[in-house]
Amino acid sequence: MGFTDLLSKYGAQYFQALLTTWRLTAISFAGAFIIGILITVARVSPIRPLRIFGDIYVQIFRNIPGAALLILLVYALPYLQIVFPYDVCVTVATILIPSAFCSEHLMSGMNTISPGQIEAARSLGLTFLQMIRRIIIPQALRSSVLPMTNLLVATMLTTSLASQVPMRPRDLTGIVSYINTHDTGGVTAFVISAVLYCLTAFAIGKAGSLVDRKVRILR
Amino acid sequence: MDNHSPVPMIELRHVEKYYGDLHVLQDISLSVRRGEVVVIIGPSGSGKSTLCRSINRLETIDSGEILLEGNPIPQEGKKLAELRAQIGMVFQSFNLFAHMSVLDNITLAPVEVLKKGRKEAREEALQLLERVGVRDQADKVPAQLSGGQQQRAAIARSLAMHPKVMLFDEPTSALDPEMIQEVLNVIAELAKEGMTMLIVTHEMNFARRVADRVIFMDGGQIVEENTPDCFFSDPASQRARDFLHSLHAE
Amino acid sequence: MKTGSIRDYLYEPPGPHTRKRIRIITGIALLGLLVLLGLIVRQFSVTGQFDAKYWSFFTKWTTWRFLGQGLLTTLEAALTGSAISFTLGFLLMRGKFQGKLIRGISTFLIEFTRGVPTLLFIYFFFLVVPKTGWKPSAFWKITLPCAISACGVVAEALRSGVNAVPGGQREAALSLGLSERRTFYRIVFPQAFRFVIPSLIAELVIVLKDTTFAYVVSCADLMQNAKVLISNYDAMLSIYLVVAVIYILINYLLNTLSERIAGSQRRSVQMIPETNKGVAAHG
Repeated sequence: MGFTDLLSKYGAQYFQALLTTWRLTAISFAGAFIIGILITVARVSPIRPLRIFGDIYVQIFRNIPGAALLILLVYALPYLQIVFPYDVCVTVATILIPSAFCSEHLMSGMNTISPGQIEAARSLGLTFLQMIRRIIIPQALRSSVLPMTNLLVATMLTTSLASQVPMRPRDLTGIVSYINTHDTGGVTAFVISAVLYCLTAFAIGKAGSLVDRKVRILR
Repeated sequence: MDNHSPVPMIELRHVEKYYGDLHVLQDISLSVRRGEVVVIIGPSGSGKSTLCRSINRLETIDSGEILLEGNPIPQEGKKLAELRAQIGMVFQSFNLFAHMSVLDNITLAPVEVLKKGRKEAREEALQLLERVGVRDQADKVPAQLSGGQQQRAAIARSLAMHPKVMLFDEPTSALDPEMIQEVLNVIAELAKEGMTMLIVTHEMNFARRVADRVIFMDGGQIVEENTPDCFFSDPASQRARDFLHSLHAE
Repeated sequence: MKTGSIRDYLYEPPGPHTRKRIRIITGIALLGLLVLLGLIVRQFSVTGQFDAKYWSFFTKWTTWRFLGQGLLTTLEAALTGSAISFTLGFLLMRGKFQGKLIRGISTFLIEFTRGVPTLLFIYFFFLVVPKTGWKPSAFWKITLPCAISACGVVAEALRSGVNAVPGGQREAALSLGLSERRTFYRIVFPQAFRFVIPSLIAELVIVLKDTTFAYVVSCADLMQNAKVLISNYDAMLSIYLVVAVIYILINYLLNTLSERIAGSQRRSVQMIPETNKGVAAHG
């Protein structure tokens, strides 16, 4: 099947698939970011059980393969009488895994702050919350722009997990396997999805380095 | 100098501190009068930095008392923050906030802690920068400044809080030799204006010039307290004599 | 000056009041976590998932042998895939230092492989490649796409390693009369390689994770063998849990190794070649 045939027959579905991938990516990244922050707060807190919990959480979800996690959520959890719809399972998986990496990036962003700056903030009479708000958070966020950009791309790649469950509408990977099993999409069907993925990744990367250049901290 | 003030600005009573088995502060008692400049010298590892940092509780102590104007320093919370706001601290490694301009470094605490208006804080910050000679660097970030300029900006940052006392923890140890003097001049200027100061330093000429009193520490103990003239020409203790001798030998 | 992680200096030594508060919150947190654990255990027992029939076969030698066979295939695919991706990544990295055309092609391939999910490459090998007449085995149908998907990241890691080698090294070698080629292979790259060993191990983890999609192409890896066990024993939850733990442990060990090496490299100003040689063989 040629490029034009493919587009005329499946164009609308590709567009739908692109939007689905974007939507999943945005939701997952937002969720991962929020959970990543909470886990990081737990990991730096002086509360030992929370620290240990945060560490274990991060080790589990940065080391579990996406497929293994999705299969657990979709097929194994129902045996505990916990049943989620397919799209919820996919979203949970694509939030949990990036959230662990998000916490790792935030930790290394915070580690770029010298202990001396924290002592200086204290000795100026800033309270703990003032120090967190004015010294820690701005520096941690500003020095983790590039890792977060990479994480956003990685999250997009992770959302291809959606193709492993019968979820509607299909994502960019799901549509390719659909077209190729029901029709002769051939190489072209792949190239269209691949290009859409790549352009998205490229746009994210460009935006990320633009922001990074603006906010990077000279050291 | 107000020698008749009954309550010392800073007073340490029988302060003890251990790092594990290491007894870093041994029965330290010391008081600094209002307007007095006290210089602490001693070999590295003598506990002088720890002593300096313990006054605004950047280091905790195991026993004893530390008082500011007769009041014991609080252990935590808002009270501790309020106390620290009254004590200026200048560090060896400057510790300017890397993500802020020099000007914002200086206005941060007056706005956040003293609740000053932005405009007022800004004007005062510029005056302070003028005073320490880095007014033209106000809009740069710390990494664009030389070490000497950073340290002078850090002094301005402390002064913006109108501290009752200034602590200097080896303020010139991280500086290239050609920048040391510019920082020492700023500190000497403050001494002349009657600021109460506790200075940990290795600069002996400077110590002799600005100190009202010299304290020599070694092995976690105060070995000798003396006037600068007596200390540098005829120290009372053998350990101080050895220390001064080792400096000249270098 | 204090060193170590932000965890050690973000909070200052607590005063008596704070210490009491920390103790109380620690108690509450501990209680909360125990309740959570209790709920999980309760759910397992209510649904009968602790029943012996779901776990007893794990005491059998054959179960572990079968899972072990799958694990071997997984490791084989991961190591082979990594070796291929390191080779491709090396070529792409060399391409980045060539003339305009080759550099452009390399950049394009690097960005392409970094921007496309592994699953898409897997479907390509599963659905399109066989139609071309070339029929690779299931093993290659999972290994090759995983390798291709990783090679762009490897190329970038190698390139940043090369860029991290001080320029003086290259200049010194050239001034001694070494050719550009010999300078690169004898002086620059060996140093760069040591820098990037941690990222290469991290990349091995990513390839290993990607091989779990082997079930798409019916390659008998750990995941696929787990599926067979499940149909034999009708024990979905227990088997998938055990398999997930195996994956997590292997990746955890690899990541820990990578961090150890990175840490020891940061600590030693002058790198000692002997300490890294043994590890390089794994990458």
